[in-house]
Amino acid sequence: MIKDSVELERRTKRVGPKDTGPNDGDEGPSRPDVDRPDTQDLLKRMRRVDPNQARRYRQRTGE
Amino acid sequence: MDDLEGRPNRRPSRSSIGGINKECMKRLFGLETEYGITVDGVEKMDVVEESMQLIRCYQQGDFIPLWDYELENPRKDVRGFEVDELLNDIDEKVHLQKDRKRKVPFKELKSDLIIYNGARFYNDHTHPEYSTGECLSLFELVAQDRAGERIVDVCAKRRTEMLSAGTVRMYKNNTDFEGHSYGCHENYLMSRSVPFDRIVKGLLPFFVTRQIFSGAGKMGVERGDKASIFQLSQRSEFFEVIASVDTMHKRPLVNTRDEPHANPDKYRRLHVIVGDSNMSEYITALKVGTAALVVELIERDVLPDITLKDPISALKNIARDQSYQWLVEIDRKSDRLIPAVEIQRAYLDLARRQFSGEDRETDWVLGAWQDVLDGLESNPMGLVGTVDWVTKKWLLDCFCESEGLDPEKPDDLVWLQSQDLEYHNVDREEGLYNLMESQGKMVRLLEDDEIARAMATPPSDTRAYFRGTCLEKFGSDVKSINWDRIVFSNNGKQRSVDLKDMVDLEKVKRYNEVLDRSETLDEFLNSL
Repeated sequence: MIKDSVELERRTKRVGPKDTGPNDGDEGPSRPDVDRPDTQDLLKRMRRVDPNQARRYRQRTGE
Repeated sequence: MDDLEGRPNRRPSRSSIGGINKECMKRLFGLETEYGITVDGVEKMDVVEESMQLIRCYQQGDFIPLWDYELENPRKDVRGFEVDELLNDIDEKVHLQKDRKRKVPFKELKSDLIIYNGARFYNDHTHPEYSTGECLSLFELVAQDRAGERIVDVCAKRRTEMLSAGTVRMYKNNTDFEGHSYGCHENYLMSRSVPFDRIVKGLLPFFVTRQIFSGAGKMGVERGDKASIFQLSQRSEFFEVIASVDTMHKRPLVNTRDEPHANPDKYRRLHVIVGDSNMSEYITALKVGTAALVVELIERDVLPDITLKDPISALKNIARDQSYQWLVEIDRKSDRLIPAVEIQRAYLDLARRQFSGEDRETDWVLGAWQDVLDGLESNPMGLVGTVDWVTKKWLLDCFCESEGLDPEKPDDLVWLQSQDLEYHNVDREEGLYNLMESQGKMVRLLEDDEIARAMATPPSDTRAYFRGTCLEKFGSDVKSINWDRIVFSNNGKQRSVDLKDMVDLEKVKRYNEVLDRSETLDEFLNSL
């Protein structure tokens, strides 16, 4: 699985919390700094989701 | 469409077999994931039939039932007894009555398949379930788990092509938002000699608080007083007792099922049901990696002196806490409330002292554990792209703001739950998690080609390799198969290969080497 040191280096890289920019003063966590174009792409996709999808999604109990 | 059948030339070298691989954790573990299934665009669907048909889409030929059910007994309790039957909720009892009238034989309904990568893929209680083969490497496990997503996605597309109407959708989540939950179970092989009381004592504070980083997030509350809040976890509100053998009703924090799938005199299989299905590779690795270290702490009897006053309530309260302080009442005279982060740090500190420098994967877990706890303490929303619940909450907040939604309005709440569901859609073009990933917004541990390879390639250093490769080389002679036994038909007789002790590295090495060098089944069986 782990083939060489370069690959291992990538995988073992520590990932800390991202910089988030100044808090807007509201209580609670601040908003992440995510590029606007990507956010727009995500919102575009989210608008295509059927608003009633969760209402129709019925499953049986599993384990 | 992707090819699902295994190809011999995809197999990697097995250089680590037999010796201690210093880069891997040395605990045998695996993941079982039950997927949600629906068909968009049709009035009604039969989930039992669809789940069965989806599994059948994996292979092109006729289905041959090979799974060996003789060795399974989920009613056996590790505390030394066996229950008459497992509990079901009222809805499920009604469904089961109808199921009994089905004319499809049990084995056909289950449709158990064993994949060349060593995984089991089958219809479990109306949910397609993908159980990874046994892994020793944490990152290998993540690859095998994600391979399951890809396999399920390909099968959904194949099934859609077969239908006259509708599109099959598959979700790696744990709820239908109406009180029906299905699981993602973790398995850890551990020593049988550890007293059960110590296991419970060691696990409870860890499991109750682990959701602060491992929760997949959920919009709304399904049980009791419904509310339009965002919860950390999909599963937390479904747990009602401390320990029991049940998994579908009155679910326990510590499951007592006694099915070691290994030598029962030496081993237990810790079967963990109190966890969410994760989309984030980073969190899948952290969830399993931290639990594996806690199991090791329990075996060594090195545990933090923490007892929760009411673990069940604490599990629910943490999930619902909108302040993100996650305060937990502990059983001390002072009645002090302590933050869940602090409890996790108590485990982390012990684990660091005991295991630091043991292997590269363990060091990764220790580092990632600290990073995530630091992030949760200082600024949880800074963990977008790492932690599933944070990422989902950020998406829902963005959408809420953009569309001017009010979660207190029933229709708006359902719309947000629909977005929640889409986070878990395994379709690589449609799913919100997958879109985030394709935009480079998720922390990755794997390359896509590693996941593709794991779809047909078993972990190289466990008995999963033996299982998958036996099927690949001698599949036409395999009569039945289970995690710990394979039965072959050989010269008119049945020859059984017991794999219960094939969790020992030396035995794994020997058996896998025999398998690799054997040209014929006779040579293979006579050399074992």
